[in-house]
Amino acid sequence: MSAIILLSILGVVLLYMGLGNNKRLLAPVGILGLAGAGALSFLDRRPLPAWGHGAMAFDDLSMAFCVAMAGITLLLFVFGSDYYSRTQENVAEHYALLVFSLTGAFLLTSYQNLLMLFLGIEVLSIPLYILAGGKKRSYRSSEAGFKYFLLGSFATAFFLMGIALVYGMAGSFDLKVIGDYAAANAEHPAALFLVGMFFIAVGLGFKVAAVPFHFWSPDVYEGAPTIITAFMSTVVKMGSFAAVYRLIGVHITALPPAVERTLWAITILTLLIGNLVALRQSHFKRLMAYSSIAHTGFLLMAVLSGDALAGRALFYYTLTYALATVGLFVVFTVAKRAANGDEHIRIFRGMFKSKPWLAAATLIMLLSLAGIPPTAGFLAKYQVFVLAVQNGYVWSTLFAAVMAVLGIYYYLKVIRETFTTNEEGAVLQLNATNTAVIAVCGVGALLLGLWPMGLI
Amino acid sequence: MMLLTLALVLLPMLAGIALLVARPHAQAKSIALLTSVIGLGLAVALYAGYDATNGPVIAFQHDWAPAIGLRMVFGFDGISLLMVLLTAIVFPFIIGAGWKKPLSEPALVNGLILLTQSALFGVFLAQNAFLFYVFYELSLVPVFFLLLRWGGEGRRAITMKFFIYTVLGGLTLLFGLVYSYLQLPAPRSADFAALQNVVIAPDVQRWLFWVLFLGFAIKMPMFPLHSWQPDTYTMAPIQGTMILGGVMLKMGIYGVVRFVLPIVPAGVAHWRDVVIVLSLIGCLYAAWIAFRQNDLKRLVAWSSLSHVGLMCAALFAANTAGITGALYQTLAHAILVVALLYLVGGLQERLGTTQLAAMGGLKARMPRLAALFLLVMIGSVALPLTQGCVGEWLMFNGLFEVSPWWTFLGVISIILGAVYMLFAYQRSMLGEAHKNTDLVDADGIDHWILVPLIAVTFILGVYPQPVLDLLHAPVEQLLTLIN
Repeated sequence: MSAIILLSILGVVLLYMGLGNNKRLLAPVGILGLAGAGALSFLDRRPLPAWGHGAMAFDDLSMAFCVAMAGITLLLFVFGSDYYSRTQENVAEHYALLVFSLTGAFLLTSYQNLLMLFLGIEVLSIPLYILAGGKKRSYRSSEAGFKYFLLGSFATAFFLMGIALVYGMAGSFDLKVIGDYAAANAEHPAALFLVGMFFIAVGLGFKVAAVPFHFWSPDVYEGAPTIITAFMSTVVKMGSFAAVYRLIGVHITALPPAVERTLWAITILTLLIGNLVALRQSHFKRLMAYSSIAHTGFLLMAVLSGDALAGRALFYYTLTYALATVGLFVVFTVAKRAANGDEHIRIFRGMFKSKPWLAAATLIMLLSLAGIPPTAGFLAKYQVFVLAVQNGYVWSTLFAAVMAVLGIYYYLKVIRETFTTNEEGAVLQLNATNTAVIAVCGVGALLLGLWPMGLI
Repeated sequence: MMLLTLALVLLPMLAGIALLVARPHAQAKSIALLTSVIGLGLAVALYAGYDATNGPVIAFQHDWAPAIGLRMVFGFDGISLLMVLLTAIVFPFIIGAGWKKPLSEPALVNGLILLTQSALFGVFLAQNAFLFYVFYELSLVPVFFLLLRWGGEGRRAITMKFFIYTVLGGLTLLFGLVYSYLQLPAPRSADFAALQNVVIAPDVQRWLFWVLFLGFAIKMPMFPLHSWQPDTYTMAPIQGTMILGGVMLKMGIYGVVRFVLPIVPAGVAHWRDVVIVLSLIGCLYAAWIAFRQNDLKRLVAWSSLSHVGLMCAALFAANTAGITGALYQTLAHAILVVALLYLVGGLQERLGTTQLAAMGGLKARMPRLAALFLLVMIGSVALPLTQGCVGEWLMFNGLFEVSPWWTFLGVISIILGAVYMLFAYQRSMLGEAHKNTDLVDADGIDHWILVPLIAVTFILGVYPQPVLDLLHAPVEQLLTLIN
């Protein structure tokens, strides 16, 4: 809880710092604050009494998610010190909004009732609506922000309606009570409860960009400033999945069969559409958007396996995914600058020749996303397969394994570009901070695979 | 034992990484050759210290991600050891093949070759199913780059096709392993010793068989999953083709022995005829296409496909002679493929092409090379006293126990094999000379590479007992598991 308080203060402080003329201090202050928030979450690990009349409770899993999300945001701030060095206006607002959004993600890891879940989602999302449109003079960015806002608020309405219906049937916002209610009526769930659960699924499905609620994500990923895209595909994903897991993995485990079937259908569709459409992408950010949808499919599979270890698997998967993704977006920014703003994957060409270490790190991160051993991404996928098969979802797992092959194909396309020589030889400019972020991400993606440090 | 085993995996890995990082282009091939020769020494030391009558040896174990069955367990039995020896013998020659006219950026080429060797040692020394899988996939990565950067025409598309084909088999294999692993009673272990005793319902085995087998069938490749192979073999640089055909293909054979036969014996019994028929069809079909080839490198690719079809058929005869023969033949085939490809590479260097139409009458101008070619060819058509003859004899025995007709088909493929090899020899070496350019005959390096390979072929053809001793105990153990 103290971490959430610290983050809220940090956001306000950053906002006020924007009034003065000390842009260079923003990132360091933010980094300090984030490090503090991570440390506080870690210290809060001891079992605390539930907070706010049982609205929040912290356990090991929420602690792990909070520390990891603070860490990833910290990496993004380090990247931001370079990314925002060319922008003059509204930098403080950007940092502050990122911190506010992170606060929402923190709430999502430890909520105990549906209202806190709603609050968390809104605190997470509203800053993002602004941030997606963060490049005020860019048409695409404004379009992204507007689209995200419209579709997001639409999904939120469903979500809120769902909460109301579930509340109406279960008589409480409290997850435990709702879970007991669902278990007691597992055989013949009331129609209103079913509808409520469906609506909640729509709201959360939108957040995690599950098919068929994914239409916003490629456009928003493409239009939003790269650092925001990186934030959305990592921290937002981690927070949303922590929320999904707490809802149906921990508390409402006895899902009505109709809801469970629907969720599996969504999972299969997400795997299929995400991977198939990603095959045809040659625009890097859109590729990452569709591949992110594909990863959502794997993560949903872990949640739906209903295994006791699913939370750990989710954490490991999202963490390794986030590390690789942040690193790749930094590499992408570097390459994009050298290519005068081109965003096609061909901008990776010639990297091996001019910056072999950068190419090596890129290779590791892409292999990790593709799930090739011995990188962390391999262990993550493999663990999901184990959990799903262990709980009897044999054919879905086989399907997911085949879909993973498609995933390997489109990541390989990027690898192929990276190691193709380019006659023009665009000069990549790497500064110390970006190098540090890429190094942390690359080494992390490899090291977590070789030595999972007890996370698996 | 532990040190030797770990050194086999780590030495080429570290040397390979060092070459990739430091890039000493001038010394690269010497360093790589030295490393691979040390590796051969280590493998021989391992062989010398192993008593074949003992069971499998576990040399090293350490936890990696034990909750999902992944543990670092290295060890070996006779079959593993044969594969390790095969890899260790072949790699110095593969590196030597780049001695005279190295590819551009030799440090990178040799570094990648060493990394591949390290992964292959890992594959054959792993005693845990998931560790096997890790190395199995890992071995693809350096080869991907070898093909992508140093391949011939159409390399971008063909490399992708090769990789995706193989990875498709890999991921279904992973799924199959996960499934089999989870059929064990808790507490589970994916170590071979435990996994081999898994009991799976016969009707499940019927589909699980294909899930487990698909990856290995692609790797070998078995007809009709071979469509990646001829293009890839032809496009790859000679050293890459040697790795693919000489060693990586054997991962398929080895995988069938390690996983398919012991885990799904009822599935094997059910699908045996289908697999044998497909393999033999592939064997004859590939032999026929090899006969019609005008490109020597393509001819070698198709002939490899034909040979591997026979090995696969014999393997699925699932009896002592069949399995022993197929495993024995892996060694013979590896050595022959490397020697043949070396000759193809040598001709390509001298003539600038591998088209048979551009050859002819070479014997008159390169008598020593022609003689070496003849000796290699004798091994390839498996004349008596060569290693191939022993392997094929055993394989035919194994197939005969199942059905004489299949032996008959197998023998036809051997006849076809003799026909296309002799025909190729005739078209390249005999007849009228085409052009009057000066051609350099086989020099010292050519002899250094080809003579030892030919020597091994003949020595093991006359005296195969050491290898057969190595295989006897594990094959018997495997057969008791199957029945």
